[in-house]
Amino acid sequence: MATDQQEHLKIEQLQHQSQDEIEVIAGRERENLEGWIPALASEAEVRDALEKAFDYRGDVTITRKDGSVVEGYLYDRHSASTLETSVVRIIPTPAKGATTTATQRVMVPYSEIAALNFSGRDTAAGKTFEAWVKKYWEKKAAGEKNIQIEPEKLD
Amino acid sequence: MAVPVSQAFTVMSYVLKQKLKGRKRYPLVLMLEPLFRCNLACAGCGKIQYPAHILKAELTPEQCWAAAEECGTPMVSIPGGEPLLHPQMPEIVAGLVARKKYVYMCTNALLLKEKLHLFKPSKYLSFSVHLDGEKEHHDFGVCREGGHDIAMEGIRAAVAAGFRVTTNTTLFDGADPNSVRRHFDQIMEAGVESMMLSPGYTYDKAPDQQHFLGKAKSRRMFRAILSNRKKSWEFNTHPLFSEFLMGKQDFECTPWGMPTYSIFGWQKPCYLLQDGYADTFQELLDATEWENYGAKSGNPRCANCMVHSGHEASAVDYNFSSLKGFIQTAKRYMFKPTYDDADAMKLLNEWPKTSHGPLVQIDNAASTNVVVKTTVQESSAVSGD
Ligand code: SF4
Repeated sequence: MATDQQEHLKIEQLQHQSQDEIEVIAGRERENLEGWIPALASEAEVRDALEKAFDYRGDVTITRKDGSVVEGYLYDRHSASTLETSVVRIIPTPAKGATTTATQRVMVPYSEIAALNFSGRDTAAGKTFEAWVKKYWEKKAAGEKNIQIEPEKLD
Repeated sequence: MAVPVSQAFTVMSYVLKQKLKGRKRYPLVLMLEPLFRCNLACAGCGKIQYPAHILKAELTPEQCWAAAEECGTPMVSIPGGEPLLHPQMPEIVAGLVARKKYVYMCTNALLLKEKLHLFKPSKYLSFSVHLDGEKEHHDFGVCREGGHDIAMEGIRAAVAAGFRVTTNTTLFDGADPNSVRRHFDQIMEAGVESMMLSPGYTYDKAPDQQHFLGKAKSRRMFRAILSNRKKSWEFNTHPLFSEFLMGKQDFECTPWGMPTYSIFGWQKPCYLLQDGYADTFQELLDATEWENYGAKSGNPRCANCMVHSGHEASAVDYNFSSLKGFIQTAKRYMFKPTYDDADAMKLLNEWPKTSHGPLVQIDNAASTNVVVKTTVQESSAVSGD
């Protein structure tokens, strides 16, 4: 997710410039959220943190007020007028060795969330194009053939 | 003909039915994403960044067929991820074909040749091979040396086995229109039925955040590519969408036109943005705040979007919404205009020869410009509408 500042700058740009005249559109810098444990001290903080968790491309860990923990990919959220009626939807991380079907879903109302941890690796971070180009030339210089960005191993 | 007559007829009667029913929002193509994992990791793609357990998850054939029936579109496009990594993909496709859905199975074709025998040629099935241009450009775009050659082998094998094959090319900043035109020649020579072309979307999850085309540059590039076109080139994009890319038409987005279904459910609002999920297609239609999307909404994430999934359905809708739209479209299909345009030719011949970054050194010496002498001004076949 772009930072608030970036969103603001983007909107400012569009207010002053016709989108039809923009030649090359700027990309976004990512927020570094991996490992973040938001304070969740106010309703606004809860909503903001869960919005970021929804946009986050790694697993998160939620501790409920009853002490139970759910870890998984937060793929959806519904932000309603109260915290009681607002919910997040999670596909739990399977236990090691278990097969994954993604059919199991867990719903947690915002009001039941005591703690949130951006515990999983951010899968959208740290793979800059520049880093790949540098690696490419290093491999080329070493005489390698069929150089590529390997998709990540899933096991 | 870019698509079989039966397909054109099916789509036409479907749209007319929706119009007669007075449906304000109707889908045209289901974008069915049965899995997110891929055997490539393209720099411009924002689709594959998920934890391993999400990348391993996939829709069952039954879920795929239920989504197709629920949505009701005559066409189903299967992007991903790489669909050929789904072990039940032949079964999924066969089930959709049995339901008389026109299926475009989008693939990078790395596995096409070896999996071809698992599919049966049908007028309902087309392999839509993702090819980002000539060899160097494609290999650069997909971050894999040799990817183009394998994909072309897959295309040739599929054509030889009697399958319908189309291509899908996504362009980013730094693309060379002259090279794209040569790419069209190569593709048509390989026997593909037709080609699709689109600017890339500015995914903020994509690794490459530096090469997104702005609208002004997109239009200039597409005008250079698609003007003065050869009669031999067949496109499977709606002709008015192609004109939209060239800056000759103005369409707002129709985000519900190509709805997306994946392991998460029905994606709000479109194939490109993920603002939440609905459990049913009806819920998607009813619960999405559609006014928040499209360039005119002021949503900064939509400001630069010219992608087909949001705008081609607008062209189709326009085509059936007024006599003017209908006549414009009919003329394009009947006369297949070449969009002769001397200024576009100049643009093409003067296009700066820059390679897209230091990854590949495109051999400019071997890539002389396409010089076509033309005295024709803006095509008369498309003026006066
Ligand atoms: S303009 Fe593009 S990103 Fe925005 S809703 Fe339409 S298709 Fe999606």
